[in-house]
Amino acid sequence: MSSLIGFLALFISLVLNLFLLSSIPLINLSIVRFNFLIRISAILTLTSFFSLMVAYVTSDFNNFNVFQNSHSQKPMIYKISGTWGNHEGSMLLWISILSIYAFFFSFSKKIDDKLKKQTLLIQTSLHILFSLFIILTSNPFLINSVIVDEGLGLNPILQDPGLAIHPPVLYAGYVGYSIIFSLAIAGLLQKEKNNEWLYLAKKWSLISWTFLTGGIALGSYWAYYELGWGGWWFWDPVENISLMPWIAGLALVHSLLMIKGEQILKKWIIFLSILCFSLSIFGTFLVRSGILTSVHSFAADASRGLFILLIFFLITGFGFLIFLLKSPDNSGKINLLFINKVSALVINNVLMIVTTLTILLGTIYPIIVEVITNERISVGGPYFNSTVIPIMIPGFLLMSIAPVLSWQTNKIKNYRYYVIGFILISLLVLFYSYFTIFNPWGILGLILGFWIIIASFLAIILSYKLKLNFNFFKKINSHIAHIGVGIAIIGITCSSVFKNEYQYNLKQGDEFKIKNNKIIFENVETSNEKNYQALRINFVITDKDRVLSTIKAGKNYYPTSKIITTEAGILHQWFRDVYFIVGEQKNNEWFIKVYINPFVSFIWLGVIIMIYSGFIGATKR
Amino acid sequence: MKFNHACKLILKNLFLIFILTSGVHGNENVNDKVKKLTLELRCMTCQNQSIYDSDADFSIDIKKLVKQKFHEGKTESEIKKFLVERYGEYILFRPLINFKNLFLWLFPFTILAIVTVFLIFSARKK
Repeated sequence: MSSLIGFLALFISLVLNLFLLSSIPLINLSIVRFNFLIRISAILTLTSFFSLMVAYVTSDFNNFNVFQNSHSQKPMIYKISGTWGNHEGSMLLWISILSIYAFFFSFSKKIDDKLKKQTLLIQTSLHILFSLFIILTSNPFLINSVIVDEGLGLNPILQDPGLAIHPPVLYAGYVGYSIIFSLAIAGLLQKEKNNEWLYLAKKWSLISWTFLTGGIALGSYWAYYELGWGGWWFWDPVENISLMPWIAGLALVHSLLMIKGEQILKKWIIFLSILCFSLSIFGTFLVRSGILTSVHSFAADASRGLFILLIFFLITGFGFLIFLLKSPDNSGKINLLFINKVSALVINNVLMIVTTLTILLGTIYPIIVEVITNERISVGGPYFNSTVIPIMIPGFLLMSIAPVLSWQTNKIKNYRYYVIGFILISLLVLFYSYFTIFNPWGILGLILGFWIIIASFLAIILSYKLKLNFNFFKKINSHIAHIGVGIAIIGITCSSVFKNEYQYNLKQGDEFKIKNNKIIFENVETSNEKNYQALRINFVITDKDRVLSTIKAGKNYYPTSKIITTEAGILHQWFRDVYFIVGEQKNNEWFIKVYINPFVSFIWLGVIIMIYSGFIGATKR
Repeated sequence: MKFNHACKLILKNLFLIFILTSGVHGNENVNDKVKKLTLELRCMTCQNQSIYDSDADFSIDIKKLVKQKFHEGKTESEIKKFLVERYGEYILFRPLINFKNLFLWLFPFTILAIVTVFLIFSARKK
């Protein structure tokens, strides 16, 4: 029943959108009616989505999609998240978010009616393309031709709270760029002279970027504790794909800042707007087509891949074609001095786009090489580390002081403080690492991280009057965001460069020592949970005879899909994580791996700060 | 100005100290070498995991092999060559710098250089 409602709702919303699109040459709908229909269409799409969710929650195995991807024994949260834990459902989620953005955009006031209508019309066209895609190739409402009373189950590795909310957050980011895309194209088509729409673009791009940040962070946090590899970023193609619109979006947000200095690179902003959404669709295509093998590509089906590829070329081609045909004249004068805010922003944009292109090239290069020469190559972490990091370094050096640079002149207020600060930090870090662990990358990362944090604080103290109200926090928002980046850089550097690894073969009752901590292998316990069997080893960690914590690490066995997953046990401390992985058992001894990951918590702290300032930035005009 | 001069001097020397000291600490033992190399090798039976991080049978074998080769006095590039002959370039996470991958390696820095030159010129014009 719910499947039928879902399909009908989706279908009617498609018809409604087709009507909206065709209304343009035929009848002139007033903006009020137009908005109304857009909202109805959004509600219909959401109805469709929630109908599918109902089918999942009630384990309605008459629905083929539910049968294939769910199981009545699953906990409720994974029944809900099962809705988007598969290809069809995730595409329905994609389109639902697309219409949610249209819904909210239809309420925006500071925009003239014609431009708003045009923007929503482009959003409507996107909606039509993707609903056709769903109905023709990936219908989640198909009827199961056999009567069954049990489903096949959800991939156990996806049964995790972090991953349950990861796709909606990530998609909220990806799809948010659709509004900016539509806005930019509409602006081009209307030959918009007024720059008012740039403020709207800034708001929406900050919102999308913030969601994308959250989505990526959730994904990598999940990778950290669920994959059990001790790391949190692997330069996996799927990770790279989410990183590209993130960096391009960051460039967009920064280039939109130039409105404040009344020096607008309009062409460039429009280009970035189109690029961000293109990268988002490109990501969807690569992940969904199954070209990239990864935990994310649920269903490899060539026809779907081709269809998305078609949509990608249509949208991107259309976008860049309009851009070429109608691109605005760059009338604004750009005040490029040796070092003022404009040149800092330009440098930042250049570095970010070069980075994005590098990641793009590295990600698709193996595919290109395989097609041309039929040889398989890998482009992995070492490539990205030795290209992306050096390219980004000048940007990191600059970002600490960029917010206090002037728009007009090349003088930096109180520059001596910054110079002294930089020298002090460098000497301290060098001195410290000379007596501990000497690693050039580690030193570089630490200097950059501390420099960004300290210079941002210096800038706040030297340039603003300290007040404790919301307005003050809005004013220093960019500095806070940069402090977040600095903290994250320290976390990233320490956890990758100064990571320590220990391996043991242990049986019950054994003890071992890591630095000042004694760790006891207490016991092994097994238990039967709702849809899996768990094996856990309890490790008691003591610090000078005081028990710090008991950590459980082990494995789960999911009988439905006959898969074993590793469940890392992690002791989270402010300055380090102690990370346990249980391996194979041989002759009554267990193979245990322990990682000491210093400052991992700083990464998540930094990300949280960035998300905070993303939202604060969106409230600013 | 005296202040500026002093700062420049320190900044320059900072860089020198950095370069010099990183050379001093260059001595590695075999285990470090094994770690460094196997971190850049793909475990062929896993999903996007390095041989160093993986505990699959394949990775354990390769780790042993690499260690043995280092003990025999082979250099890193010799071992890499051996592995590529046996398993194909797919095993290397860091693509070789050869004709096929030239574009991959040159692209990022070339485009950066071009844009930088372009920007400097357009700034100078004004």
